Amino acid sequence: MLLISILCAPFVVGLLCLFARPHALMESLNIAGFVTVLILGVKLFKTVLTNNGNAVTQWNEFLRADALSAWMVLLIAIVSLATSLYAVRYFRRELANATVTERRFREFYVLTPLFAAGMFLVVLANNLGVMWIAVEATALSSVLLVALYNRKTSLEAAWKYVMLGGLGLVLALFGTIFTYAAAIGKTGGEMPSFNWSRLCGMAPQLDHHLITLAFIFALVGYGTKAGLAPMHTWLPDAHSEAPSPTSAMLSGVSLKIAVYALVRFHIITTACLGSSFSSNLLLGFGLFSMLLAGPFILVQQNLKRMLAYSSLEHVGLIFVAVGMNAPLTVFGALLHMGYHALTKPVLFFAAGNIHQQFHTLDFQRIGSGLVRTMPVTAFLLGLAAVAVSGLPPFGLFVSELTVLAGSFTSNYAWASVVILISLIVVFCGVLNKLAGLLLGPSDGEHARETISVSNIAAMSLPLGALLVFTVWLPDSLRRLMELAVNIIRGLP
Amino acid sequence: MNPPTSESAAHVITLLASLMLVLQLLLVVQRMLVANIRVFAFQSLVLAAIAAVVGYAYEAPHVYVVAALTLAGKVLFLPWWLERLVRQIKIEQEIDAFVNMPASMLICGALTLLAYIVARPITSLERLGNNTLAVAIALMLIGFFLMINRRKAITQVLALLTMENGVMLAAIALTTYGMPLVVEIGIFFHVVIAVMVLGILVFRIRETFASMDVSKLNELKW
Repeated sequence: MLLISILCAPFVVGLLCLFARPHALMESLNIAGFVTVLILGVKLFKTVLTNNGNAVTQWNEFLRADALSAWMVLLIAIVSLATSLYAVRYFRRELANATVTERRFREFYVLTPLFAAGMFLVVLANNLGVMWIAVEATALSSVLLVALYNRKTSLEAAWKYVMLGGLGLVLALFGTIFTYAAAIGKTGGEMPSFNWSRLCGMAPQLDHHLITLAFIFALVGYGTKAGLAPMHTWLPDAHSEAPSPTSAMLSGVSLKIAVYALVRFHIITTACLGSSFSSNLLLGFGLFSMLLAGPFILVQQNLKRMLAYSSLEHVGLIFVAVGMNAPLTVFGALLHMGYHALTKPVLFFAAGNIHQQFHTLDFQRIGSGLVRTMPVTAFLLGLAAVAVSGLPPFGLFVSELTVLAGSFTSNYAWASVVILISLIVVFCGVLNKLAGLLLGPSDGEHARETISVSNIAAMSLPLGALLVFTVWLPDSLRRLMELAVNIIRGLP
Repeated sequence: MNPPTSESAAHVITLLASLMLVLQLLLVVQRMLVANIRVFAFQSLVLAAIAAVVGYAYEAPHVYVVAALTLAGKVLFLPWWLERLVRQIKIEQEIDAFVNMPASMLICGALTLLAYIVARPITSLERLGNNTLAVAIALMLIGFFLMINRRKAITQVLALLTMENGVMLAAIALTTYGMPLVVEIGIFFHVVIAVMVLGILVFRIRETFASMDVSKLNELKW
């Protein structure tokens, strides 16, 4: 029942919002739905632990949750909850300013839970074909969210997103079919199963040619969705043109969902072809993404685009860490996913507040001295910026250090030099841009910000959680991540 | 799990697959929008026919479901819906391409050759027909080219759909009995929903830009 209710809760919320009249009802339905899912997610995480890492399955293994899925479920639930909290004030204000119509308002509250439901299906589906359908469903539900403002630029961003995403997903479907075809004739006469757990169990017998091709297709396909360079060109557009709550979800979890899908293929490929082939590809593309993100951050003039490129860099780091395939680096990758999911939404929320105040995201036009005009937002934005550039005492420092330590102790010392260089470039870029924005004199033309409790809560809760989980990582959570590390590394 | 060899069925499938490729080339040179949509419908009909032949020759009843879904979705519903969209937004019929016709034919020839070379190491894994996998990859590559070459939003949607046809052909060629039914039905609904979402976007782009020319979508740079 557990897995089904995790899937159904957001789905039902989405359907209810289709008919709900009062705004407050839609908002509270969303929040209540995501609180429920978070509670269920914690329960799932406990069940997986008491099962000693054995997967929870349902419907004859149609749905399956192992430690890796449970970890992803937690991330999706937390980011969605923060998003629905923040959206309350954001969209009320947009509605008051008449930047969105009544219809678009409803569209947001219907599509966001559906978007989340699609992501839950990605991580809970055992069948690789169903996983593909679910990834596509997330793309389709989020594309209308990207186009929500109906401006010229947001339509352009949505079009690029859906076309590149669609292209990528056709390739990913090719990869999925090849994986299935690789199992035909190896099962002794019967139809092979499309289930990941079965395919992984019989991985050494799979057809090597087809698995090689399948992984390349999946890499390009899901890599497009994950924003891996050079297929990342949709990413800054979509992230900057979407409403801020949606940007938070896109960057906070949707990218990681694609990473998750690719990691599932990576596990099968490694079990079939040995460790070097898929790992090296992930490592190479990851390093390229990291190196590419830095220069773009340095020259960026738009706050949300800069944040999008920073996501590109973090996704690159996760790929690099998974590609190194050492216990410490993979652990670091999972940790990094978690900490990044807690940090990025706060940055996008702050950007949303700034946009509503100044009606622009251009650094030049906003000017400087945000600390004076928007003290609360500026303070939280500053903290989150320190966190995202990997400074202590925030978690991303710990996870980046873990990855670096792991890479130095394994045979990838050269890669860690590259990682360090790109981290430093991004660090300088982000802090330089944001210091200019936050500090200094203000032009004093704008009124002081008005801020509500829900707004502060949505931004400070993830940051608070980030701090707590940095200094104190519960043993159960650590155990869950260790189990997930074993899954990724193909150990029992 | 190779199916019982059936010579005549294999020939028919090869023939139909090459017909799909020919139709894809026709799509490259055809400049009228509505004709483009109909060529796509015909190509999907050929795909449905392949599925039906497979179902008949190898006694695999669930492939009939695939044939029926393709017929209902890609041959009837989507073309009807796209044509309605074209009428609704009253766009001009002629499509401009970036590359002229003879050059695009040459490029498509080269792409087909490339597809054959790529598919060569794995043709032994084909379970149906000859070179169906190569045709599938060729459909995909030419779909890529179509997408780059055309400026109208709807033709890009069509290009995406023909690529999807190529994937389905590969699925039939590689796996004989197609994929599990859940997946087939899921992919079917996804295609229908995807096209409707794209339609909404096309409609909004048309309203906002007063044009469907995607080369005008160029404000966002790095």
